[in-house]
Formats: sequence, structure tokens, C-alpha cells
Amino acid sequence: MLGVYLVCFLVYLFLPLALMAAAAFNSFPQPALVPWQGFTWHWFGVLAHDERLISGLWHTLIVGVGVTVVAVPMGLAAALILTRLQGRAGGLLYGLLVSPILTPGVILGISTLVFWRQFDVSGGLFVAGAAQTSFIASYCMLIIMARLQRQDRSLEEAALDLGATPWLLFRRVTLPFLAPALLSAGFVAFLQSIENYNTTVFAIGGESTLVTEIGSRLRFGLSPAVNVIGVIFLTVTVLAASLFVLLRSQRR
Amino acid sequence: MNRLVATYGRTLTALFWALLLVWLIALVLVPTGMMVESSLWRMEQTTAEAQDSLDIDRLYNDISVAELDRSSAIGAKAAQLDAKLAAMKRQVATLEGREIVPVKVYTLRNYLSMSGLHVRVFVRTLFYSALVTLLAAVVCYPVAYIAAFARSARHGALILLALLVPYSINELLRIYAWLMVLDYHGLLNTLLIRAGIVPADDPIRFLEYPGSVFLAMVYAYILFMVFPLYNTLTTLERSQIEAARDLGASAWLIHRRVVIPHAKPGFAVGCVMTFMLSAGSYSVPRIISRGTGGDWFTQLIYRQFYEAHNWNIGAAYAVTLLLACLLFIALVMASFRVSLRDIAR
Repeated sequence: MLGVYLVCFLVYLFLPLALMAAAAFNSFPQPALVPWQGFTWHWFGVLAHDERLISGLWHTLIVGVGVTVVAVPMGLAAALILTRLQGRAGGLLYGLLVSPILTPGVILGISTLVFWRQFDVSGGLFVAGAAQTSFIASYCMLIIMARLQRQDRSLEEAALDLGATPWLLFRRVTLPFLAPALLSAGFVAFLQSIENYNTTVFAIGGESTLVTEIGSRLRFGLSPAVNVIGVIFLTVTVLAASLFVLLRSQRR
Repeated sequence: MNRLVATYGRTLTALFWALLLVWLIALVLVPTGMMVESSLWRMEQTTAEAQDSLDIDRLYNDISVAELDRSSAIGAKAAQLDAKLAAMKRQVATLEGREIVPVKVYTLRNYLSMSGLHVRVFVRTLFYSALVTLLAAVVCYPVAYIAAFARSARHGALILLALLVPYSINELLRIYAWLMVLDYHGLLNTLLIRAGIVPADDPIRFLEYPGSVFLAMVYAYILFMVFPLYNTLTTLERSQIEAARDLGASAWLIHRRVVIPHAKPGFAVGCVMTFMLSAGSYSVPRIISRGTGGDWFTQLIYRQFYEAHNWNIGAAYAVTLLLACLLFIALVMASFRVSLRDIAR
């Protein structure tokens, strides 16, 4: 009985995605399965020559790298401080630093937009990046904190006893221990940035990223080129998710 | 604090605090504060200035009338009109000389002036978001349970993978998939036409029904309930369930007394995330209603910023939404008796 339920749920999840992917290969100029006018790679070519989408992709990558480079160190710093800060102050600070995750994305976009307008910086890639960083740093912090909680402090103490300078200790003991968490924090930060729509659309002003470009395009009628993007995203996602599950089950 | 200095030295500790404070102050606290601040004022003319601009408008009217009269007047009448015109133009010049500079007035009117329609949209947004959350909780609990207590590790990993893929695919693409289904020439209409239920020349305009936004929203955010539940359920020992079963508890009782209480933090996180994402969603209503409908509160906020260019009212609307979400989080935390530390784990 439970098995049937699960299968129904998975069909519900996958059917729309499968339809979207399949329509990318239909020659019919509207994204659809019926009428099926034959298999084609044509829309992949259309996508490759779509300059607005390509430039949106570049913007996405620029913002993604920028956000990752800033958010991971911020999350790391906050995690190191919070794991050593007990009591009310720690609780309060923790609450404040986690709050961006619990805030609707549109609000983060708006508040960042309002903030930077005071300095005559209007909406664009920079403001979008700042808005994204505010909550992505929280994710990084949580990921790094989870690993720090399993840290054996005696290792650091031993290094200090043996005369290591703080820099050397940080570089040779702390960072190597945190490396897996830093890596996944960076991965999550980059993905969250690329995927983000609700925050970005409010902070991006007149510019566009890949996702906001898709968003504004969906308003004016459908194109199989968007389905092609769907196919590419789906493929990458399946690969990345398989890798994640594989690594996870090996670790156990 | 001291322990941090003891391990990492003054320089590194200062660097850590600097990074934390830049994030907290420049990216979180001050922007939020400024948004709240700008929701509390608006640029207004003082009453005297408002009277001035009314006078100016009236004078311009009178001048045009007089000029019209002047064009057909001759002799003494013309001279009289010329004098009158000159007087009026001087008056306009003085009035315009002290032309209005709107002043910043702190007021709650940005909040209170919300129209009845907007209030209804706000209430409807919260109601449907709560409904999405409830539906997600009911549908996802069995799924999370099956995934957490799968027959074998292999089986569990496969289920996890099957859930992870639709969860990580881009939000817009998930919505787009539903757009294809519900569109005027979409899949659902094609099927209905083939089945002879709907006439071929008059398909149903599904996208114009508010229910479509709801359907797509459930699809877009339902998995944000599965993973928190899954994470808490994996920490429940299988032996606890088996013990309850050995003691003769029915399946229903096991869930009610053992599994569901254990999953409380998962429910809390799932509810907070699902509700917050739904109430704050701009993507779903924008794409499904093609930007034409005004079904969702976020659309009203966007319009205040980018179409009406009234940032103060937009900020007030945004703060209203934020307060609603904070209230929801507080409610969830109180009713599930969990703390913030449980929530963000």
C-alpha cells in the first residue's frame, strides 16, 4: 500500500518534468507533445544562438562566483565564532544570522535595493549579489557549524602547545579539517545563487541573469528553447544528485 | 570570545568578527531597518503648498481664457485684457517662485491606506499558503516515512535520489512544466479535446483560474516539506518502532505516539519553509498568470516598486508580508514546542 502511494507521488513529481523534457525534441514550434512532428535537435541550435540567454548565463556565473567567494568566508567566520559563544548572546546572534533563511526572498531583494539606493547604487548584478549573499552566507554557516560540532579541539590545543602560530594552526589544522564542509558550502552557495529567482528579480533592476531572463520570457508565450534549458538542467541535476547520493551512501 | 583569541590569536579573531559584522550589519540588519524606515514616511506637500499648486492651475486656466478673449478683442477692451493678463502672469511667476518642495512626513498612512482589494489579496495569499503547507504536510509525511525506513539501504538511496532530482531542479522549470500542462493549447486541453469532453475550438482557459496558481505552487514547494521530515525521521531508531509493535500497538498508534512526536522539529521546519516560500513566491503567480493576474501579494509589492514607483508603499507592503511570516514562525514554534536552534539544524 505504502509502495503504491510512493509510486503515485513520484509519478506526480516526474510526469510534468518528463513532458517538458520530451517537448524539447519535437519539431513543432510550440512546446508540446501533440502534434508530434518528428524528433529534432533544432532547438538546441536555437538556444546556442540566443544572445540574451547567453549574456544572462555570463551574468549568472559572475554573480555566482562573487557570492560564493564572499559568502563562504562569512559563513566560516560566523560558524567559528558561534561554536565558541554560549549563552544568551550566542542564541541571539545565531537567531539573527539564521533569520535571512526564514525571510521570504522577495523581502531580502527589496531591503537590499532600498539600502543601496541610499548610496545611489541602483538595482543590478551587484545589488542582486549582495541580496543573495545575505541568506546564502547563512546556509554556509549552518553547513560549516555542523562539521565544527564534531571537531576534536584537543588537536588545535596540541598544535598550540607545540608552538604553532595562530596562522599556521588555522591553515594547517582548522582549514584541512573543515575542507569537506567548505567544499559543500561553496557548492551549495554557487547552486543557490544560480537558481535564485525571487530575490534576484527584485534586486536586478534593468539587468538580467539566466533565470530572470527565462522568467521574463515565460510571460510572452512559450518557446521550445526554454524546454532545451530544461533538458540541460535536468541532466545536470540527475548527475549531481546521483553523485551526492552515491557519496552519502559510501560514507555510511 | 576569549577562547577564540586563545586559539586563533588577535588578528584572526578580529578578521572573523569583521566578516561577521559586515554580513550582519551591511547585508542583514541595516537593509531591513532601512526598508522598515522607508515604509514609515512619504513625501507630502504641506497644505499651504497644496493650495498654491491649486491656485497655479486655476490661474493658468484663467490666462488661457483671457488670451482667447484677447484674440478677438479690440480697442479699450484689448488694453484692459492685456493689463489683466500681465497681472495674472506676474502672480503665476510669484507662486511658481515659491514652488513646492515636498517634505518628508513620518506617517503610518502607507500601511493604513491599503485598499480593500489589496487587503483581500493579502488575506487570500496567507490563506492559500497555509493550505499549501497543510497539504504538503499531509502528503509528505508518508513519503518521508517510507524513505527513512526503506527496506534496504539501496532502496532508501534510490528513493532519496528520486526525491532529490525534482527538488533540486530550478524552481522556474518546475513551474514551466505546469505551464505546459495548463496552457490554452496545453497538454490537459489536448487530452480533453481528444476525449471529446471539450470542444476543439474552445479549450478551457485554465491559467485564468486562481486554482492554477495553487496547483503549481503545491508542486513547486511540496518537497521543502519532505526533506526536513526525512532528516528528523532518519534519527529515529527502527528498534523504537519495533518495540512499540511488539507491545501490540496498532500502526495508527505507533505513528501517533512514536513517529509523529519524534518528527516534530521536521514538521516545524517544513511548515516554516513551505509557508514562507509560498507566501513570498513571486515566480509562481507571475509565470502562471503571465503577469496579468493580481492574485498574489508579492505581485502587488512588485508593482509598487517597478510600475507605480512608489517605494514607500512598496516597503510598507513588504514589511506587512515579513510580519505575517514572522508571526507564522512564532506560531509554529509555539505549537510544536521547538526552538530556533531546532529549526535551523
